[in-house]
Amino acid sequence: MSWTMKSVTFALAFALGGAAFAATVPAGVKLSDKQEMIRNNGSEVETLDPHLAESVGANNITRDLFEGLTTSDNEGRLHPGVATSWKQTDPTTWVFSLRKDAKFSNGDPITAADFVYGWQRFLDPKLASQYGTAYGIFVLNGLEIAEGKKAPSTLGIKAIDKYTLEVKTPNPISYLPSVLSNSQFAPVHKATIDKFGKDWTKPGNMVGNGAYALKDWKVNSKIVIEKNPQYWDAKNTVLTRVTYLPVEAGNAELKLYQSGDNDFIYQLPAGQYEKLKKDFPQEIKNGPILGLRYYSLNNKDPMMKDVRVRKALSMVLDRDILAQKVTVDGQIPAYGVTVKGLEGADVTTYDWVKWPMAKRVEEAKKLLAEAGVKPGAKIKFTYNTDDYHKKMALFASSEWKNKLGLETELDSLEFKVLLKKRHDGDFQIARNGWLADYNDATTFLTLVQCGSSQNDNFNCNKKAEELIKQGNEQQDVAKRKALLTQAAKLVMDDYPMIPLLQYTLPRLVKSYVGGYSTKNPVDRYLSKEFYIIKH
Amino acid sequence: MWAYTFRRILATIPTMLAVITVCYLLLHLTPGGPFDSERKVSEAVLANLQAKYHLDLPLWQQYLYYLKGLLQGDLGASFRYADWSVNDLVAAALPVSLTIGGGAILLSVIIGVGLGITAALKQNSFIDYFVMLIGNIGSTIPSFVLGPVLILVFAIWIPVLPAGGWDEFNVRFIILPLSLLTFINVSTIARVMRGSLIEVMSSNFIRTARAKGLPLKTIVFRHALKPALLPVVSVLGPLAISSITAAVVTESVFSLPGIGKLIVNGASNRDYTLVLGLVVLVTVVAVLLNLLVDLAYALLDPKIRY
Repeated sequence: MSWTMKSVTFALAFALGGAAFAATVPAGVKLSDKQEMIRNNGSEVETLDPHLAESVGANNITRDLFEGLTTSDNEGRLHPGVATSWKQTDPTTWVFSLRKDAKFSNGDPITAADFVYGWQRFLDPKLASQYGTAYGIFVLNGLEIAEGKKAPSTLGIKAIDKYTLEVKTPNPISYLPSVLSNSQFAPVHKATIDKFGKDWTKPGNMVGNGAYALKDWKVNSKIVIEKNPQYWDAKNTVLTRVTYLPVEAGNAELKLYQSGDNDFIYQLPAGQYEKLKKDFPQEIKNGPILGLRYYSLNNKDPMMKDVRVRKALSMVLDRDILAQKVTVDGQIPAYGVTVKGLEGADVTTYDWVKWPMAKRVEEAKKLLAEAGVKPGAKIKFTYNTDDYHKKMALFASSEWKNKLGLETELDSLEFKVLLKKRHDGDFQIARNGWLADYNDATTFLTLVQCGSSQNDNFNCNKKAEELIKQGNEQQDVAKRKALLTQAAKLVMDDYPMIPLLQYTLPRLVKSYVGGYSTKNPVDRYLSKEFYIIKH
Repeated sequence: MWAYTFRRILATIPTMLAVITVCYLLLHLTPGGPFDSERKVSEAVLANLQAKYHLDLPLWQQYLYYLKGLLQGDLGASFRYADWSVNDLVAAALPVSLTIGGGAILLSVIIGVGLGITAALKQNSFIDYFVMLIGNIGSTIPSFVLGPVLILVFAIWIPVLPAGGWDEFNVRFIILPLSLLTFINVSTIARVMRGSLIEVMSSNFIRTARAKGLPLKTIVFRHALKPALLPVVSVLGPLAISSITAAVVTESVFSLPGIGKLIVNGASNRDYTLVLGLVVLVTVVAVLLNLLVDLAYALLDPKIRY
């Protein structure tokens, strides 16, 4: 099969498979007369402008209010959004066909020009979107525009006609449709923005194109959205009203849940998973997501720049005990920069993972001795003030003390201070974590790539870099995966960081809420996929 | 009295200016900036963000810029909440805090003074011991313990009230947080009132009034209450101001969208303008409350009008 044929088939498979994908109510399920849901969102959102949204919470809501060319269901599977189908006409050119029944919430039709305007606005550094450089890399000239080196008009996007859009990419990106499901790539209504300026996101002003429209927004209190009758798939959207709560404190959230004032917990309070699993066996949900807890090792630090020290510190940490006895919330031990469920690269690991701990300790001691680090030597561990992180830090320091004789100085900082210190390289060992922006290995590889702004370890492996480059030029999906896996393995053989656990997201969801799946690797749940069962 | 009031108002200006200046400097000296996030922003984006919020200017120019806006009633744009100005955010949060905090002060004065008088007049009786017990509980059990207990009892075990949240048109959301703050304040006021009235009731002029055969009601309400209220008035200012700090906990426990929550979020996000706006607000409230206390004091005791 030729390359182009494969692409067309791929596109058609998506288009056919996703003909109808809003709430799928199983046969026999009786729906409640009142289709309203309250879901906690973890914190107050910084904005409802999809192009400026940065936090997980803000993106949760903007995905309900805006829809891009593609979208995903509650199992994380890709589906058509405003685009009905797409094809790669050459390695760096994609053509999207837009549905003709897609409208903004005020009834205006959505055309290819709306996407051109939206994407140019998103990447314009004048808007100062913090996602600009992260997502700019996927569209020709996008990064240069986000960095202020080229004009927004040079962006690789063109309206071929009213309902056909052409997108040029800087290199072949087979997973582009998946990236485009992020609401940063959604169209926005130019006339509304021109009319209201920054107030365009306020209730009464906002015009969106998602399954829901903004009804009310009381800062720090609630955001209410209601079903958008103009949405192209409104007939399959079951929930009529969703209230997002910005409750941060886990215990307050739990009390709201217990009292019936919240149907969907954002995240359980630390340390209560086992108890709540017993108390709410039908309602507890927990599944792995594309996220990695790790410790950054400052590869520029005089002590940490020795790979033997980095390796010794990593190999004595017993991830099984950490997961089963310390964090105790179902997280999975991790030994590589890539995690389970990720597309574009396999999980990599170390040979010593299978060794008995005694042998690992013996080897680690030998490595430290060779590096000239004697028992009693001091290391400094920096983390942000939080009970969960503190527990993990105490465990790590105890492992390093008991197994290697190292003395750990724990430095607990406010989150903003930790971020600054990490980005500035002002630390020795620091707590870190990463949640995938999209389901592809490249989102994790940015953590260990040379010169990457997300690389807080400050390592650089030129060979791995070359493999990543080759992988990203590769059009064959399997070959690309092999190259990126090889790169991930190679870079981790340098021990730039200490992978610890793959995230899971334990939460409680009322048993009458239908449509929730624990098989969603990106933890993105569209309200249009939920429904309330009669109870 | 007017001259005294005018002098007191004038004296608040340097106080407020000093508070704003110190807070401004402290905020800018604190490590970690408003745009530090997990995702390191590009230099171009950072430069645009800094220009947007005038952070690219020298600090003294930023300060003057801020003061100029402040004099025009503009508290600036929030660094964190891009869709809102600080004026918007304060205007949304203030009614919540005023309802809970102001309501609690008002209720606690009424209940606390009443309980204090009763306890003082029934000294060493069951009522007195009961009031003292309430006072001790209120002053020793912290609100972050008492709040969840109230939620457990009245929202989960006996589900008659919401566990948290806010709806300005529904009084049910007010009851628990208002009760919590009132209970804490009542304990202080009742104890002060009791002690003060007992002391006044043992003074010579009350003894004279008793000797003249005046009824107890007249003695208490016409002669003893006014001087006995002086210490209560003294604690009202600090109590009202401490209600703002107590509100941080109360708002967190009950998920209320008030000033306390904004202060915490503003500080942790390094949202300089938001924190400064709230500092200005709290300072104005504190200064006004102190002024009111001083004026009330002057009204109750003419010797104080200097």
